[in-house]
Amino acid sequence: MDDLASLRDAIVKGDAAAAVVEARKILDQGTDAVRIVSEGISPAMAEVGRLFEECEYFVPELLVSARATKEVFQLLRPVLAQTGAKPKGHVVLGTVQGDLHDIGKNLVAAMLEGGGFEVFDLGVDVPPQKFVVAVREKQAEIVGLSALLTTTLPAMRITVDAFRSAGIRDQIKVMVGGAPVTKSYAESIGADGYGENAAASVQLALRLIGA
Amino acid sequence: MTDQEWNTLVSVVRGEALRPLPVGFIIDSPWLPKWAGHTILDYFTDERVFLADNLKAMDSFPSAIMLPGFWSEYGMCTEPSAFGAVSVWEENEFPFANKVLRAPQEVESLEKPNPRKHGLLPFVIKRLKHLQPDIEAKGHKIRFAVARGPLNIATFLMGTTEFLTAIKTDPELMHKLLTLISEFLVDWIEYQRECFPSIDGVLLLDDIVGFISRRDCETFALPYLKKAFSADVTIKFFHNDAPCKACAPLLPQAGINLLNFGIQHTLAEMKQWTGNQMALLGNIPPRDVLAAGTPDDVVRSVTDMLNSLEDHSRIIVSCGGGMPPGAPTENINALILAVSELTRQAAVS
Repeated sequence: MDDLASLRDAIVKGDAAAAVVEARKILDQGTDAVRIVSEGISPAMAEVGRLFEECEYFVPELLVSARATKEVFQLLRPVLAQTGAKPKGHVVLGTVQGDLHDIGKNLVAAMLEGGGFEVFDLGVDVPPQKFVVAVREKQAEIVGLSALLTTTLPAMRITVDAFRSAGIRDQIKVMVGGAPVTKSYAESIGADGYGENAAASVQLALRLIGA
Repeated sequence: MTDQEWNTLVSVVRGEALRPLPVGFIIDSPWLPKWAGHTILDYFTDERVFLADNLKAMDSFPSAIMLPGFWSEYGMCTEPSAFGAVSVWEENEFPFANKVLRAPQEVESLEKPNPRKHGLLPFVIKRLKHLQPDIEAKGHKIRFAVARGPLNIATFLMGTTEFLTAIKTDPELMHKLLTLISEFLVDWIEYQRECFPSIDGVLLLDDIVGFISRRDCETFALPYLKKAFSADVTIKFFHNDAPCKACAPLLPQAGINLLNFGIQHTLAEMKQWTGNQMALLGNIPPRDVLAAGTPDDVVRSVTDMLNSLEDHSRIIVSCGGGMPPGAPTENINALILAVSELTRQAAVS
């Protein structure tokens, strides 16, 4: 019997309350928290991503599923910490300096967290040095840069340059995305990966860390 | 906008086949001031700069229709300011409006603004009133009432993430919010028409409509777009450069008869999805081609686009979305010339 089916279902439907109830029930039954993530949350968010790619789900559906995932993670985090379970990777994420839009970044954060990554969300209007400090402090393997305005695109290049100046460029993989970002722009600034949408971010992140 | 340009728009909307095809661009603060050599903040605050830059664009590209024509705007801050949003200004960056609502429940205490008194709206009107003699002396008239759309305004009042989540978690409150906003928009559009009787068109801009499913569009967008477009005007013009396959079939129901959309879809696709009921403004890639390409790239793109389209009725050639920041004069001229040469005669080769 698939004891995680109801949890996955609740996440895919974006029912945060039901997802938390299911997660609590499964934990109480002695199910391993790591398994809840790998066989419950991750496949559920992968399904949400697939539905988004196929234009059955749109941004609101992604957001409520992300919300359900977030609330389940709040329940699981203390348990996961006790097990010493490691995330698939550590991602520092933010919208670049001068840009106050957060929707793209929020969607990517949700997808990555659901995909088993630990995400450190720096918010919006993030100066390059703040990214540098966060990478060092969190030992991040991946940095995600988001921009929604054409005028803030140059801040992506400046941020990548800041990684180089700080001597940490070779230690991280940089992935970029947002409405004005194109694959050619990503290549021109030396980014390691470009995500066309949030749903693609998990596969991109896994590819970048060689998983 | 000149009378001739307005008549061209009306002809296209009515389905007349024009040779050559008309060219038009939505121009506003992301492109115009920098192209004309001014900062964005100077463009917003100095009426002489506003007038000079708009006239420069019209004089530089006399064969293209600059839409909506002397758009008196303050970026995304215009309408949210009336609700009390704090606007954040930089010398040469797009302004941003801070949130007003911290939670969906705060919608209950939000009041409908008065466009005659609140926020930047009186400044929008006064700027045009002061410049009206100069505008008309150059043969132009104010033809469009312009506003951001209801969902766009909602996302600035609440936050995009918060609003798009709340249409799932607190739908009744979001209906209240959108009802209030669309009632405000009716007042705001009516006030613009009252101030400028030459207005016979409404332009609404709302990318957020493209972020939601067809079902959510039917519920959360269509009724409010219908209300906002309810004025008795000849042209009802909508801009949405987010993906709009889901909402496209519904847009004619809102009364829209002219659509500017993004590059995710082709002109042919949009014609099909909308039953060829709307004139379409598009659809060269704005950033990669019109802004960052060469004039030859622009010509190639225009040629490919026109060759791929069998039915040239109800088309105004443009880029997807509004004029992109950094689009150079030579590329814009290349587009205009290419369209003229390619569509002067019946067959495109």
